[in-house]
Amino acid sequence: MITIMRYALLRWRGQIIGWGLALAALSLVIAPLYEAVVQQRALIEGLLQSLPPEFMVLIGNLDRIFSPAGFLEVRYFSMLPLILGVFAVIIGSGLVASDEENGTLDLILAQPVCRVELFIGRWLAFSVALIGILFITWLGLVIAIRGAALDLDGLAVAYPFIGLFGLLSWFGGLALLLSLIVPSRRLAASLSGLVLVASYFVTTLAQLSADLSGLATVSPLTYYQGGGAIEGLNAGDFLGLLLMSIVFVMIGLWLFQRRDIRIAGEGGWRLPSLIQKTQTQ
Amino acid sequence: MNDSLAIQTQALTKSYGKVPALRGVDLEVKRGEVFGFLGPNGSGKTTTIRCLLDLIRPDGGTLRVLGRDPQRESVAVRAQIGYLPGELRLDEGFTVEAALRFFGRLRGNRVDWTYGRELADRLNLDLQLRIKNLSKGNKQKVGIVQALMPRPALLLLDEPTGGLDPLMQQQVLRAIREAQANGATVFFSSHMLSEVEEIADRVGIIRRGVVVEVADPQALIDRSLRRVRVRFKQPIDLSALTQLPGVTLIDRSDGASVLLNVAGDMDQLIKTLAAYPVIEMDTERPTLEEIFLTYYADDQAEAR
Repeated sequence: MITIMRYALLRWRGQIIGWGLALAALSLVIAPLYEAVVQQRALIEGLLQSLPPEFMVLIGNLDRIFSPAGFLEVRYFSMLPLILGVFAVIIGSGLVASDEENGTLDLILAQPVCRVELFIGRWLAFSVALIGILFITWLGLVIAIRGAALDLDGLAVAYPFIGLFGLLSWFGGLALLLSLIVPSRRLAASLSGLVLVASYFVTTLAQLSADLSGLATVSPLTYYQGGGAIEGLNAGDFLGLLLMSIVFVMIGLWLFQRRDIRIAGEGGWRLPSLIQKTQTQ
Repeated sequence: MNDSLAIQTQALTKSYGKVPALRGVDLEVKRGEVFGFLGPNGSGKTTTIRCLLDLIRPDGGTLRVLGRDPQRESVAVRAQIGYLPGELRLDEGFTVEAALRFFGRLRGNRVDWTYGRELADRLNLDLQLRIKNLSKGNKQKVGIVQALMPRPALLLLDEPTGGLDPLMQQQVLRAIREAQANGATVFFSSHMLSEVEEIADRVGIIRRGVVVEVADPQALIDRSLRRVRVRFKQPIDLSALTQLPGVTLIDRSDGASVLLNVAGDMDQLIKTLAAYPVIEMDTERPTLEEIFLTYYADDQAEAR
């Protein structure tokens, strides 16, 4: 399992560093803006009062922007799920399916490696990759808040990243599970991405409409605290997301153990043949 | 199940949706032999090999590999197998050496690196090259080295010489013979009948998911028809020849030259010919390829 993990991380090392540095750089760009926000508070508050509440919700509750934690929540942590969600669904959907689709899985599983070992090894590598990206991002943020006028404890700003890890695990787990159900990795990534965007809108719009509150309870983003975790992590929400990701992974493992490994380029489902049939009729 | 067998399958079936790939494969490969598995595309060769490795699960039948059930003891079985897939794909980001080290690590480093380097050298394979820069033939060489390097008890090779030039094909066949000499069983599929004829102790012919023949290559050739051309001093009465069991007259151009098909041994024909004034006699032995094609004559006719 160590070899499986190690090689997966080696393969992703560029992405881990790239995503981490890009998000760290983003914090270095955003944090200094806080000073200007504080200086222009009266002007901004005047502008905010003229905006309809719906608009305020959609652009991220700007009325909270004047506290350091609120500023980071609105300008930084609210964006991270969508940005890093892309990484989670792309890597998650390809943990097994990309090697299967490009044909390299055949030779790996012809070695004395059991399917459980491969599957769990890849999942653990994915978790370590997430931790790596989040750690680099957190380091960048700590440097950024030290250089800016944001009076926040470095450890406290780590809490939103812990919550984010739970959320990204949820999406990675979903993408992995879907990759074992639908015929292609690309479709699994697209469907997971769709859930990510839908979840964002449902959770956001539920603040405006009570009709959506029921739907929001099944939206994973509802359980992501974002910058709010700076004032204290909700362990229940975090563990709930993590537990669901483990459920996805376990179902995926159960499916993976029972399925035939496809040869490179081989389609997996009946859908394409059904389409062909209807076209030839 | 027989422990003297490296591979044993009974009534093995496998379908992909409604398409049957294996329709009851019965196969016995003895330990220490080189077994050539012949068949055209889609006949079930690769499906059989992938069942043996537990990459796919058969719908029915039983199989044992080196005395074990590959589904229940997949890791233990695969620890003793070196596999070369027919459609070899390798991680393009690796160098050759890194790829071989990766496969070695998956085996807990139980590989013979000295032999691996020697093989790479014999195959003119540069270990420092990146996989993405290799030709198809050179990638095939990587596959061959990774399969042989652990010195496994069983080699499953799907089209091992595909994409290689004749010189390298000979090197691979030599390596297969060496593996056999060291006690390994070799089960390989091929389209290249000349190489099967050259190294296989026995061949199995699979047709539409069923093994239709298992024999040693020479016996297959001996058992098949021979074409005999005889030239006599003068035209003769051929009835004595055509009445012989297994002898058929194909052509009698001028009465002094005849072309015969002879099934089975030649003993009776030669004894009968001794009574006639024979100037010369030629015997054409069919190649394994010609014999092979007779098994697929129906398929080819249907395809036309």
